[in-house]
Amino acid sequence: MLSTILRRVGISLATIFGASVFAFILLRVVPGDPARAIAGDMATEDAVAALRADMGLDQNLFVQYWRYMRAVFTGDLGFSYSTGGTVNSLLGDRLPATIELGVLAVIFAIGTAVLFASLAVYSNSRWADRLLRTASSLAMGSPPFWIALLALMVFAVQFGVFPGPEGRLSPGLVPPADITGLYSVDALLAGNIPLMFNALWHLVLPAAIISIGPFAFLSRLYRSQLRSTRRETFVMVARSHGLTKFPVFNRHIAPHGLLSILPAGSLLFADLLTGSLLVEKVFGWPGIGSMTADAIIQKDFAVVQAVLLLAAVLYVVVSLLADVILTTVDPRTRVGAR
Amino acid sequence: MPVNTEVQRAGQEQSTATPVLEINNLCTNFELPGSTVQAVRDVSFTLCPGQRLAVVGESGSGKSAMAMSLVGLIPPPGKVASGSVKLRGKELVGLGDKEISAIRGKDIGLVFQDPMAGLDPLKTIGSQFVETIRVHQNLSVRQAKELACELLAEVGVNDPRRRIEDYPHQYSGGMRQRVLIAMAIANDPAVVIADEPTTALDVTTQAQVLELLERICDERGNALMMITHNLGIVRQLCDSVNVMYAGRVVEQTSVNALFNEPTHPYTKALLDCMIDPYTTVRGQLPAIPGSPPDLAAAQPGCAFAERCPLGSAEKICHEQRPEAVVLASGAVSRCHFAHELEGAQS
Repeated sequence: MLSTILRRVGISLATIFGASVFAFILLRVVPGDPARAIAGDMATEDAVAALRADMGLDQNLFVQYWRYMRAVFTGDLGFSYSTGGTVNSLLGDRLPATIELGVLAVIFAIGTAVLFASLAVYSNSRWADRLLRTASSLAMGSPPFWIALLALMVFAVQFGVFPGPEGRLSPGLVPPADITGLYSVDALLAGNIPLMFNALWHLVLPAAIISIGPFAFLSRLYRSQLRSTRRETFVMVARSHGLTKFPVFNRHIAPHGLLSILPAGSLLFADLLTGSLLVEKVFGWPGIGSMTADAIIQKDFAVVQAVLLLAAVLYVVVSLLADVILTTVDPRTRVGAR
Repeated sequence: MPVNTEVQRAGQEQSTATPVLEINNLCTNFELPGSTVQAVRDVSFTLCPGQRLAVVGESGSGKSAMAMSLVGLIPPPGKVASGSVKLRGKELVGLGDKEISAIRGKDIGLVFQDPMAGLDPLKTIGSQFVETIRVHQNLSVRQAKELACELLAEVGVNDPRRRIEDYPHQYSGGMRQRVLIAMAIANDPAVVIADEPTTALDVTTQAQVLELLERICDERGNALMMITHNLGIVRQLCDSVNVMYAGRVVEQTSVNALFNEPTHPYTKALLDCMIDPYTTVRGQLPAIPGSPPDLAAAQPGCAFAERCPLGSAEKICHEQRPEAVVLASGAVSRCHFAHELEGAQS
C-alpha cells in the first residue's frame, strides 16, 4: 500500500515538473520578444536590452528556469508586465470567477448527463436513445465559442432573458464583501438575496455553454455503462427476487454508472477550473480563461506559465483525489478489503 | 383434450396431487429484424408440490428460455407469444411488472448459472439479502438481517453474523452460490427453478451445492425444476424429466424410465453420450452427429429427423410433426416410432 502511494506521489511530482519544463520552453521558443512587446515599438534598442536584462531574459535557459522554479517555491509566480501587477494577485483576482463558473458548469454537465442518459436507458425506448446520441454528437461537434455567440444573440439580444457579455454582475452593482470570492455565495452570506440572484443570472448562460462538451462526453459514458450493467447477471438475479424495475435500476444499475463517470467527471472538473478561454472571452468573464487568452496575445510569460503550472497541479491533485474516492467507494478496491 | 390431461399426469409419482405450476402450450419467440426465433414451442407440463423435475437438453434447446418465460424474465426481444402459465390456478402470462414481481422470489425462487456474477459487487451480502427479504415480507431491517443470518447458516455459511457484512468478492464461487440459494428460498417459495446451478463450479463444489439443494427440497417440500445438461445430476436429484430439443419437450418420463427405457431417439442419443470413464476410449468421445436445427426456420416435420438414426430415412419424420404419444409406462414421447422404441426394450 505504502509503495503504491509513494509511486503515485512520485508520478504526480514528475508530471508537474514535466509540465513546468514544457510550459517554460514552449513560451521561449515561440517567436516574438516580450521585452520589445512591453517597451513598445518606439523604444530604443538600448532600452529594450536593458529591460531584457532586467527581466533576466539575457541569461541562458537553465539559469532562467532555475530562477523561475526558485521563485515558484517561495510562492512568487512572477510579475505580469501586461497588467502591471504580480501574477499572485492576478490569479487571486481571477480564480474565484472561474471557479464559480466551473463548479456550476460541472453541476450542469453531470446533472444533465445523468438525468438524460438515465431516462434514455430506463425508458428503453429506441427513440429516446437515438435522441440522446444525436444530441451528444451535436454537442461534441459544435465549437463552444460559436454556441456562445449564438446564445448571446438569441437569449441576450433577441429575447433579453439572460444578461449580455457584461461580466459577473449587472453594471453598477457593487460586488459583495469578499469571503469566498464566489459572488453568489458571498451575496448569500451577506444576506443580499437580489445580488445573489443577479450573480446566478449572469452565471447560467456561460456555465450552460461550457457544460455542453462535458455533457456530451459524460452522457455517452454513463449511457454505455448503464446499458452494460443492465445486462449483468446480478440485475437478473435482483429481478428474480421480486424487485420491480425502478428499485433495480436505482440500487443496482445506477451506482455502477456513477462509479464509471467519477474519474472522467473529476478530470473535466480540473479542466473547467483552469477556465474556458474562448467562452470566458465571449462573455467578458473576468476569469482565468480570458486572462490566459490576453496573456498569450501579449506574450506575458509569467501569466501563461503560472496558468499551465496551475493546470498541471490541478489535474494531478484532482485525479489523485478521484482515485482515492474511487478506491473508497468501490468495495473491491477499498483499502483493508480482504 | 384427452392427450393433454394424460400428458400432465405422465412421469409423475404424485399424480394425484394438485399441481402448483401448470404450463400449457407455452410458446416464446425472439423477434429479430427479419426473422423470428421460436425458442420455446408448445411446451406443456405440470409441477406438483415436492416434485423434482429435471429439464435436460443440449445448449440452445430452449431450457433456460422456457424457465425464464415462466416468471416473465425473458430478456427482450424475447416474448411469450402464446400459452399459459398457471401458479395455483393464477395466470402469470401477461401480468404487469408489479404483479409478476410480487410472485417472483415469493412463490417462485430462481437460482442461476453463474454465481460469480450473480451478486451486486458494490453492495454487501447483507444489504442484498435484506432487500430480497423485505420485498416480500413486512419485516424491519433488523428482523430481516436476523432471518438472513439463519438462512446463511442453513446453507452452510460459517459465522454468518460476520460474513453477512462482507462483499461478494470476499466469497468464493461455491459460497456465492450457497448465498444465492439462500436468497432464492428466503421467502419460502413453493417452486424453485435452478438453471444449471452447478455448471460454473468445480466438481467438488458441485457435489456440495447439489447436496444442499437436495437437503433444502427435502426439508421444505418445495417443487424443484432443475435445468441441466448433466444426466448424472438428473439421476442423483430428480424424479421426473422433460427432455427438450429445438424448443419442444420431446419426451416426458420418470427418471427410472429415462435411463432404462428411453422412448425418443434423441433421449437415447443423449444417454449414449454419457461418458463412462472406464469404457470410453481416449479420443473417441461419443457425440450426436450434426447440429440442432435453425430455430428461425419453419419445420414441417420432426426437428430431430436430420440427425435421427431412426427417422433420417423416413418420409413421415421429415414431413409430419409427431404428436405426443402416451405409452404404457406413462411416459410421453413425441416420436412417430415411440411404440416401436418401447416395444424394443421390453
